[in-house]
Amino acid sequence: MTTGGTANEPALRLVGVRKRYGIDSNSVTALDGVTLALPPATFTAVMGPSGSGKSTFLHCAAGLDQPTEGQVFIDGEQLTHSSETVVTKFRRQRIGFVFQQFNLMPALTVLQNVMLPLRLAGRRADRQRCVAILQRVGLADRLDHRPAELSGGQQQRVAIARALATEPAVIFADEPTGALDSASARDVLALLQEAVRGFGRTVVMVTHDPIAASYADSVLFLADGQIVGQLAQPTAEAVAARMTRLSERPNRIAAGE
Amino acid sequence: MLTLALRSIRFRTSAFVASFIGMFLGTVIIMSFASLLDTRTGTGISAKDKDTLQIMASVVGGYGLVIVAFAIASTLTLTVRQRSAEIALLKSVGATPPQITRMIVGESMILAVVAAILACPVAILTGWALVRLLGSSGTINDDIGFRFGPYAIAVGFGVTLIAGTVAAGLTARRTVHMRVVESVRAAAIETPRMSRRRVVAGWLFIAIGLNCALMTATVFNGQSISTTQAVGAEACIMSAIGLALLAPALIRAVTTALAGMLERLGATGHLTVVNVRQRTAQMSGALIPMILVTSISTGTLYMESIENSTGIKMSSDDKGLATLNYVVVGMICVFAAIMMVNSLIAATIYRRREFGQQRLVGSTPPQVLGMVSIEDALLLVTGLIFGTVSGLLTVVPYSIARTHSVVPNSSIGIYLGIAGTVVVLTLAAGIGAARRAIRTPAVEAVTA
Repeated sequence: MTTGGTANEPALRLVGVRKRYGIDSNSVTALDGVTLALPPATFTAVMGPSGSGKSTFLHCAAGLDQPTEGQVFIDGEQLTHSSETVVTKFRRQRIGFVFQQFNLMPALTVLQNVMLPLRLAGRRADRQRCVAILQRVGLADRLDHRPAELSGGQQQRVAIARALATEPAVIFADEPTGALDSASARDVLALLQEAVRGFGRTVVMVTHDPIAASYADSVLFLADGQIVGQLAQPTAEAVAARMTRLSERPNRIAAGE
Repeated sequence: MLTLALRSIRFRTSAFVASFIGMFLGTVIIMSFASLLDTRTGTGISAKDKDTLQIMASVVGGYGLVIVAFAIASTLTLTVRQRSAEIALLKSVGATPPQITRMIVGESMILAVVAAILACPVAILTGWALVRLLGSSGTINDDIGFRFGPYAIAVGFGVTLIAGTVAAGLTARRTVHMRVVESVRAAAIETPRMSRRRVVAGWLFIAIGLNCALMTATVFNGQSISTTQAVGAEACIMSAIGLALLAPALIRAVTTALAGMLERLGATGHLTVVNVRQRTAQMSGALIPMILVTSISTGTLYMESIENSTGIKMSSDDKGLATLNYVVVGMICVFAAIMMVNSLIAATIYRRREFGQQRLVGSTPPQVLGMVSIEDALLLVTGLIFGTVSGLLTVVPYSIARTHSVVPNSSIGIYLGIAGTVVVLTLAAGIGAARRAIRTPAVEAVTA
C-alpha cells in the first residue's frame, strides 16, 4: 500500500487527493486526503459503505471529476484539468471504463462500439484485433448485433472488450456487476481477471458486493473519504466481515487498521 | 388516465414545450384569419368586401390548417418517441393500449386547450393588424371595423383541438400496438420505416404540385395575374407538402449518397452516418419545416419579383393580392422557421445522455460539436435541395407564363437571403443546443 512498491512506475498513483463539494461553511468532504499507488497488472477492488466516497474516488482517479486538492498520476503522467478537451484526450489514451449501465452507443453495432474509442482518438482501428478481443470475451458471433439485442451480461462483455481495445494503463470499473444476474456477473468478473492476467491491464473496480471484490488481488476499504484498510487475497467472507465492522463504526474512527 | 396525463405534463414540462409552441403559434394564425369571418358580420359592409373576407379566411385558413396540423403532429411524434421507454414501463405494469392512448391524447388535448386560450389575446392583436393591412392596401374598404367573436374562437379552438387529437391518436396508435418487449427495444433502436399510406400520400401531393406547375406554364399562360398566381403558388405548396411527407426517405437517400465522403472525415463522419440512419424520424421533425419554408418563400417571393420585372402596372386588386400573399407567406414562413428551430432544439437536448456516453468513450467537446454540425449540414443539404426544387416548380412555370423565359429576370439575392436565413437558424439552433447539452459533466449526463 505504500508509494512506489515496484521498480516500475505505478499504473495509478494518487497523492493527497481531496474533494470537497459546496462552498466554505456548508461544504461536504467526499474524499479526505487519499494517497495510494497501484502497481501495473493488478486487480484492485475498492469497497465501502454507501456515502464512503467510492464514486468520488473513481471519478477523481479517472479524470471524470477534478479533485479540490492533490494529484493523480496515470502511468506516471499527471492528470491536469486545463480543459475538457485536454482531459478527454488524456483519458482516451490511458484509461478504459466499464460502467454499471454499460453505456454502449445504441446506434452502433457491437464491433463498431469496440472500435469507436480508437477511431475517436484518430488511431488506426485494427478490425482484426478488435474481432480477436471480441472472440476472447465470447461474442464472436454477435459482431453485427446492436446493444439492445443483447443480454445485460453480453452488453457488459462488449464494454470490457471496448475498454481493452485501446490498451489503456488502467481500466476503471464502476459496479460492473450491479445490473447483472449472478451467472452473468461471474462471467464478467472472470473477464476482468483475464484482463489483468491475460492482457496485462491494471483494473480498479468499485463495488459493494463482497463476492465481486473476492475476484480482486486486493481490496481497499474506504470510509468517510479515507482509506481505512486493505485486504490481500480476499475471500468473500473476509470482505463481508470487514464491511460489517465498517458499517457498524461510530461516526469516525482513526484510519489505518 | 387524465390525472396521469396532467401529472406527466407537469413533470416533463420541457418535453412538451415544442408541441405547445407549435399549437400556440398555429392557433394565433388560424384565429387571426378566422376573425375575418367575425369582421364580415359587421354592419355597412359591401357585398364585395364580404366575399373577399370570406375567401381570404377560408383559403388562408385552409393552408394554415394543413401546416399547423403537420407541425403539431411532428412535434408530438417527437415527444411520444422520446418517451417510448416510459410507455413501455406503463405497459409492463399493466396499462392497456386504450389506456395509454387516452393518456397521450389527453395530454395533447390539455396542451391544445391551454395553447388556444393563451392564443386569444394575441390573435385579437394580429387579427386587428390584418384587417388594418387589408384596409390600407385597398383589398377591402378601410373603414371596416375589426371584430373578434364566435367564429374566431370556434375555428381556433376547433382546429387546434382536432389537429392535436388526431395527431396524438395516430402517434399513439403506432407506439401502443407494439409488444412490451418490442417497445423497450424500440426505445433503443429506431425503426425508420414509413407507412405505405404515407408514401402514397406523399407522391400524390407531388403529382398535384407538378400538375399545377404544368398548368401554370401552359393553360394559364397569359391569363390574369390573380388566377395564374393562385395556381402557380399551389405548385410549390403542394409539392413541398408531398416532399415533407417523404422526409425520412429523403434524408436517408442524401445520407447514403454522401456516406463515402463523410466516412473519409474520420470517426466524426462515421458516427454521423450511423446516427442519421438511425434517427431519420427525429431529423424529419426539423426537415419538414425546412422544406416548407424554403419552397414556399422561394416560390411566392419570386412570383412577385417576376411580376414586378414585367413592368406591367398592377391593378388595385392585384396590389391587394400581392400584399395578401406577403402576409400569408410571411406568417407561414415565420411559423415554419420557429417550428424548425423548435424541433432541432428539442431533438438535440434530448440527446444529452448519448453525448455523455460518447464523451466517456473519448469524444472531446469539439468532436461532439463537430458531429452535430455535420448532421445539421446533412439536414441543410437535404432541406435546401428539395425545398429549392419544389420552389422552382412555382418559379419556372410562372416565369414562362409571364415573361416567356425559363429563367426569371430577378435577382438571385432573394434566394440567397432565404437559404442564408435557413442555414444560420439551423446551425445556431442545433449547435447552440448541443453546446448546452454537453455543459453537464459526462458522468452526470449518462446517469440522469
